[in-house]
Amino acid sequence: MPTMTAPTPARIKVRPAAENDGRKDFISIRDFGFWYGDKKALDGMTLDIPERQVVAFIGPSGCGKSTLLRNLNRMNDLIDGVRHEGDILIKGRSIYDPGLEVISLRRRVGMVFQKSNPFPKSIFENVVYALRVVGVTDRGALEEACETSLRKAALWDEVKDRLDDNALGLSGGQMQRLCIARAIANRPEILLMDEPCSALDPIATGKIEELIHELKVQFTIVIVTHSMQQAARVSDRTAFFYLGKLVEYDTTEKIFMNPSQAQTEAYISGRFG
Amino acid sequence: MDDKVVTGTPPESRFQVARGTLLADVWMGRLIRLGGVGVIAAVIGMLLFLLWQVVPLFSGAEVTPQAAVALRPGAVGFGEDESGEVVYAAHPDGTLRFVKASDGSSVTDWSPPAGSPAVTAVRVQSREGQVLLGHADGSVSSVTVSFKVSFASDGRRSVEPEVKSEPPRQVGEKGRAVTEVWAVRATNTRLFVVRQASPRGSELRALRLAERRGLGGRAVVTPGEPFAIAPDVDDVGQVLVPSTADSVLVLLPGGEVRAYAGEGDRMDLIQSFRPFPGAGRAPSAAGLIFGDVSAVFLSAEGEQRVWAIHPVKQSDGRSLRRWGEVREPVRLPGPGAGVWAAAGNKCYLLAAGGELQLRNLTTGSVRWQGEAPPGSARQVVFSRNYDRMSALAADGSLRRWKIEDHHPDSSWSAFFGRIWYEGADGPAFVWQSSSGSDEFEAKYSLVPLIYGTVKGTFYALLFALPIALLAAVYVSQFLRPDLRLIVKPLMEVMASLPSVVLGFLAGLWLAPVVDANLVPLLCALAALAPAGLASGWIWSRLPQPVRRRARPGLEFLWLAPVVFLCVCAAWSLGPSVESALFTVTDPSGAQVSDFREWWRVSTGLAYDARNSLVVGFVMGFAVIPVVFTIAEDALSNVPAALTSGSLALGASRWQTVWRVVVPTAVSGIVSAVMIGFGRAVGETMIVVMATGNTAVMEANPFNGMRTLSANIAVELPEAPAGHTHFRALFLGACCLFLLTFILNTLAEVLRQRLRERYKVV
Repeated sequence: MPTMTAPTPARIKVRPAAENDGRKDFISIRDFGFWYGDKKALDGMTLDIPERQVVAFIGPSGCGKSTLLRNLNRMNDLIDGVRHEGDILIKGRSIYDPGLEVISLRRRVGMVFQKSNPFPKSIFENVVYALRVVGVTDRGALEEACETSLRKAALWDEVKDRLDDNALGLSGGQMQRLCIARAIANRPEILLMDEPCSALDPIATGKIEELIHELKVQFTIVIVTHSMQQAARVSDRTAFFYLGKLVEYDTTEKIFMNPSQAQTEAYISGRFG
Repeated sequence: MDDKVVTGTPPESRFQVARGTLLADVWMGRLIRLGGVGVIAAVIGMLLFLLWQVVPLFSGAEVTPQAAVALRPGAVGFGEDESGEVVYAAHPDGTLRFVKASDGSSVTDWSPPAGSPAVTAVRVQSREGQVLLGHADGSVSSVTVSFKVSFASDGRRSVEPEVKSEPPRQVGEKGRAVTEVWAVRATNTRLFVVRQASPRGSELRALRLAERRGLGGRAVVTPGEPFAIAPDVDDVGQVLVPSTADSVLVLLPGGEVRAYAGEGDRMDLIQSFRPFPGAGRAPSAAGLIFGDVSAVFLSAEGEQRVWAIHPVKQSDGRSLRRWGEVREPVRLPGPGAGVWAAAGNKCYLLAAGGELQLRNLTTGSVRWQGEAPPGSARQVVFSRNYDRMSALAADGSLRRWKIEDHHPDSSWSAFFGRIWYEGADGPAFVWQSSSGSDEFEAKYSLVPLIYGTVKGTFYALLFALPIALLAAVYVSQFLRPDLRLIVKPLMEVMASLPSVVLGFLAGLWLAPVVDANLVPLLCALAALAPAGLASGWIWSRLPQPVRRRARPGLEFLWLAPVVFLCVCAAWSLGPSVESALFTVTDPSGAQVSDFREWWRVSTGLAYDARNSLVVGFVMGFAVIPVVFTIAEDALSNVPAALTSGSLALGASRWQTVWRVVVPTAVSGIVSAVMIGFGRAVGETMIVVMATGNTAVMEANPFNGMRTLSANIAVELPEAPAGHTHFRALFLGACCLFLLTFILNTLAEVLRQRLRERYKVV
């Protein structure tokens, strides 16, 4: 975990908000609440995530930012005894619609985990996994998708000569980029990133952040991060959570330069968290 | 290393380690090392013990010459008592001279009673304690020699010969001298055969006595009429008279051998054969082997051929016992000079080209070979317990050898080769270690047992592996976690069921139930998998809102009624299926609908109630918990990160299991399979109790088998320690050890490679 050197708003360089040509309410979270058993983890969240923008979720540990992220592709359903209230809509359709297969939701919403989790297979098989499970068997199509995804994940030049090697032989940063390549191979619409750089060194982190910029052209990206510099560097909009509630959600520039809530300011200036 | 150690200020006392901690560390380390070395030593020790028991099987005989016994010159035959202390020599005039073997001092002499006709032929049959005297008038008298052992008050042992003679019986043509005589005694018959000179050469005549023993034990003897054997043969060569008293083998000088057999007062030619193919090649020596159904022929060119009586299919479909060649020819060091059979086993001594060879008929192995004494031996006598042989040399001296051969009927080919046993219609692998008869040929082939072991294991794993592995996948990946916490310990309890209980259930309860409901059971087995798949397909076609009602992890509730219906349907449709598919005509001409009968008729294979299917089921029950527990652990240990990674990529649960979880856990699954395999291979009680324990070699699922382990359990208690049988059982144990050792090693290598390939960081 990169150490957090008490950042002040003045020292954080904020990127100007990008032009947004997509839908403003690409993902709509409406009064969303979520329980783990009896413990309420999320409470009355409402926010819209615009298309092809990077949205960062920040907040202290346990504030619910990862929980919300994992609800966007319903990964939390795998946990026993969870329930939710409210709704999450993607392009206006509820992800809890009984007629919607959770599998197709997950094909649409890709995910990169905090800890890289390549399968114990070759690099090639890792990247084309999502295509394999939808039934693509044509070798040419698979190879093309593999190359495209690895190029997008800025990993192609490093691994192109050893695609058949076991993915577990890569370095930590390479593995995480491999997981990104794997997540985008089947061209999802949304990419969820759960602290993707928390286990990486600064150079690997830099590469992944570069990558996020490039991927934004194609994907809507939601990223959970503990590093406020990272949120400031990569995101267009930032949401600050605290104790299961959404405290403030605005453009990243606004959040870091001129937060409207005292709690937000206290957090980003390192006074708690 | 630099010896100089820089010592600064000693560390504060709070940093110092207590002596006890250090001592415990050292001693526990040693203890653990001792334990590890102990385990290895125990395994090696076990292997060495097995080898130590087995190695004597493969050593030959040790034959040591003893001091010769000097006999009065002119002896034509000899016999001895069971312990070899008293030897008697027969002289041409019919006198028997008994001498002590130790110093040659005379014990007693016996002469034919005064007034009996002149003796012209003598034969001593030491094994039977019988001396046959042929007389000048064509009659034969039989003299019985027995020995009475008594102990004096000082414990000294003395052996007293007793001689009883029967009055002469007329066997040959009256007035013509007998030149050679034979006699054998079977259960209810005695057969006398004599050779008499004829104008053309020599001819044979025989007399058969029927003996009937009443309740009082006194035999009533009814003599038949003397009859001629081979009256059309001008000159009879060597004659072999089997102790079955129903046939005679006559060797003609031209090389042909004729077998005559018959009942009552005649014997007809039933077969004629040439032991050595090619005109003019005649046996130079021949002899019957103990049991008298095999004959060894030697030729002057130095070849040995073995013929035996065995069932031969005739053109009209009957099977008749006829002579046939049963062994590959063997080259000998020189012209064959004589064959003499041992008195209690299938060994024989042959003389060829100045060499003596002690061979075993069954295995064909040479037990011992040595230099023959000069001149040809007139007669060789083996002691009954095969520890001594004596030969009457041409110079009249009696040479004696001590034999030490504890395992005459063992060799590699006896254990692993295909052997044509006496009475069989071809070479085969047979395990049959004991019998009621002394003349029995022990059959120690381990091949049927190894086959049985593999067969039992195969059927057990066929049943257990799919169930155990699929259950492990289901329980670890699909079942609700709270139910999983119940199922797993239950399976582990199942593993602790003693296999003797399972065997008992299998043999006494399950086997009859399966036997009575075989067709419904097979129908249910055949229908379950398609029904399960079909119900899954129907489920996948149901609209999403309906499917959503099933709580994840409880889907098996949907399958339960399917299984139930399937079994019900199989049970109610079973009889109709049986009558539709398995109707045969039974021997009485009636149509019967019975699978068992159908199986026998249509496949020609056996059907037993205690069969491999039952063993497979029940051994499966012993194997399932073991495989399940280990495989389930391996599957559960696959990191959740991989599972969620796969699910997040849009894979279904099954795709996740099949593409990620199973490959990652494959080394653990291989271990589970191997441990299940080891359990099935070594399983004893279930096999002993639930199969017929017949050592048959058939893949037929509806008959039994005998496994190596069951064989040891069944036979070791009755095998005399140190006997060939006993050691053969240990050889079986060695094979079992080797089988599991090799397979486990291979599996471990495979497992390591898989682990290397699918290792998770």
